[in-house]
Amino acid sequence: MAVEVSNNHKQQKATERTPRILVFACKWCGLIGADGAGRKREPLPPNFRVIPVECVGSVEPDAVIRAFADGMDGVIVMGCHLGGCRFNDANHAAFKRLELLRALLEGVGIGRDRLLVTFGTAHEGHQFTDVLRNFTNLIAKKESLDTSWTSSRARMI
Amino acid sequence: MKNITVFLCTCFDEINRVVDYERLCSHLSDDPRVAAVTVSRGLCVSGGAGEIGASVKSGDGRVLIAACSPLARGDQVMRDLERAGVPAFRRHLVDLREGCAWIHGNNPAAATEKALDLLNMGLTALEYKEPSADVTLKIADEVLVIGAGPAGMAAATALARCGVDVRVLERGAQPGGMLGLVSRSYPDNTDPSEKIAAFRDLAASDPRITFHSKVKIISARGYAGNFTVRFTAEGEELQAHAGAVIIATGGRVFPPKGYYRYGEVREVVSQIELEARFRKGPVKKENAVFIQCVGARCEERPYCSTICCPASIKNAMRIMDENENARVWILHRDIMMPGTTLEAYYKKAMERGVRFIRYAESDPPRILGDEAVETVEVRDDITGDRRTIPADLVVLSTPLIAGTDAEAIGDLFGIQRDSYGFFREIYPLHPVETRIDGVYICGSARWPVSSEQAMVQGEAAAMKAAALVGRQTIRASEFSRVPGAKFGHARVNEDTCSGCGNCAAVCSFDAIRLQRRSGEGEFRMVSRVIKVRCKACGNCLSVCPNGSMQMPEMNTKALYGMVGKAFS
Repeated sequence: MAVEVSNNHKQQKATERTPRILVFACKWCGLIGADGAGRKREPLPPNFRVIPVECVGSVEPDAVIRAFADGMDGVIVMGCHLGGCRFNDANHAAFKRLELLRALLEGVGIGRDRLLVTFGTAHEGHQFTDVLRNFTNLIAKKESLDTSWTSSRARMI
Repeated sequence: MKNITVFLCTCFDEINRVVDYERLCSHLSDDPRVAAVTVSRGLCVSGGAGEIGASVKSGDGRVLIAACSPLARGDQVMRDLERAGVPAFRRHLVDLREGCAWIHGNNPAAATEKALDLLNMGLTALEYKEPSADVTLKIADEVLVIGAGPAGMAAATALARCGVDVRVLERGAQPGGMLGLVSRSYPDNTDPSEKIAAFRDLAASDPRITFHSKVKIISARGYAGNFTVRFTAEGEELQAHAGAVIIATGGRVFPPKGYYRYGEVREVVSQIELEARFRKGPVKKENAVFIQCVGARCEERPYCSTICCPASIKNAMRIMDENENARVWILHRDIMMPGTTLEAYYKKAMERGVRFIRYAESDPPRILGDEAVETVEVRDDITGDRRTIPADLVVLSTPLIAGTDAEAIGDLFGIQRDSYGFFREIYPLHPVETRIDGVYICGSARWPVSSEQAMVQGEAAAMKAAALVGRQTIRASEFSRVPGAKFGHARVNEDTCSGCGNCAAVCSFDAIRLQRRSGEGEFRMVSRVIKVRCKACGNCLSVCPNGSMQMPEMNTKALYGMVGKAFS
């Protein structure tokens, strides 16, 4: 009984807080999607930050883990269509790598759905906003991550 | 260290109508890394990039620009800065308009918070960014053309006319390729041996063209500007040093084995065998039947080979030329004759009385006859009638497939091939280029094409090669896959590299080689980055187990720093 109460309490806390979302957007698709959303002046929740990368190939799995350690509630990686990458199959490799990472995240209790890897859906502004809104809604329903134990380890580099 | 100059652009009050610039300024001027903060109304129109460049040029100055998105004017400002002498590691663009003000107009307080975070992220990135040294390399002034079919001949001719030295490697004894197998080329109806003879004369007389026959390629290495290809020509081992390589190895005809009783009954021949008969002498036939799409547009080879319809129509009319009483049927699934010339050719064939019957893929024609073909039974797909056509010749139109040595050539040069074995271009917009800079593809090695189109592609590839070898030197950063120069190259820390080879395996540009580290007592393998090939995608650094591989312009420290400051 006591456990249930505390769970409910946590659940409530999670919904009160706006989730923090970090977006790694490739400069050639994801960022163009973000730019399209901006040009349309689509009102978006201000709970996300975009880090432009040259290609999603350069999104190290460590950087994603670091993001969770630094208090992000969700991470989105936005790349080009599979097959439409400027860097040949770099996004294929990234996709495989991040899919493995999602399995790992599930294993360590963060949950695989806190990392969203989208390819090709971000090229248009409305899709960017859709992805972001849906993901925010999804994450908002979750409990916030307990990062207290990571604070000392994450600063190692 | 106070070395970062911040330029805040208000975009004519577009941004600061939402974002509180006074707060940004006061926050920035408190930051120990910031040397100065300047607020400008329009960075893109004031032409201030030159001044900004001059102000940060000295010493270790870095510049943070907070303005619109890269796609709007941000990249333009960045390019101006590049021109003004501010390299990529010393500048950073923060998108405050599309990325903040315009999407959070309904929440100015949160927008200001976000802008502060974005600026903090930018400052942190600038703190850690490092330069990756560019290299300038000399370009060998010869072009290697592999294959002397129509595409290769056209490429070599075009290059020689441009004043570029060309070395042509041909696997056979004579130039011509598949052009040497056909009796006449369509739609001009000329004898292709004239074209081959013209090229042979040119190759003999032009000092710029070196022609090698009976060539076997042993090895190829190098990168754009510096390819070294070892080969044997008529048994003699030779080496070529080329700035660019044009691959025109062509395709080959799919043999119709197992289709329409080919090989079982006489007078069922493939299109290329009919061409050989025409080259020997006239072919006098009363009733000729051409069957299209034999082994093409099926499950195994779903593509249209594009040359079989015109070839059949050409040969149908040729049979009528040689016997004016001859009747010719073309059994097809669709007639593919694109363009005005070919469409006119198709019309001409219909006017001359070539009969076209459409059959369905599910109900193909049947060849009847014991020893030689006697009749062809076909169901007309449009009327539904079953017809029996008398035939003393059946010609099977088969598609082109990838050449036998396509795999070997692809592996030698590191070119990707598609599901059917043809070389893959950079899709879209780069029809003759491959993922390896300096290696160009043309003709049927790339996709089945007519000799005419192969020549056009050969010339296109020649122009690409000429543009490269026409220069004396080139910087590695110019071999870019993106508009403008590359922003950097991957860099290995050889002291910590364990030589695991993860990076070499994942690189999709073959830009990383494992080599023995030079130095006394060193027996380790380390990764080396070929800067010309590196396109800065960053896959290598993502798989590096210990961070030895870095993209200096966006290294781990900068990336992690940005992550850490995202919600500060």
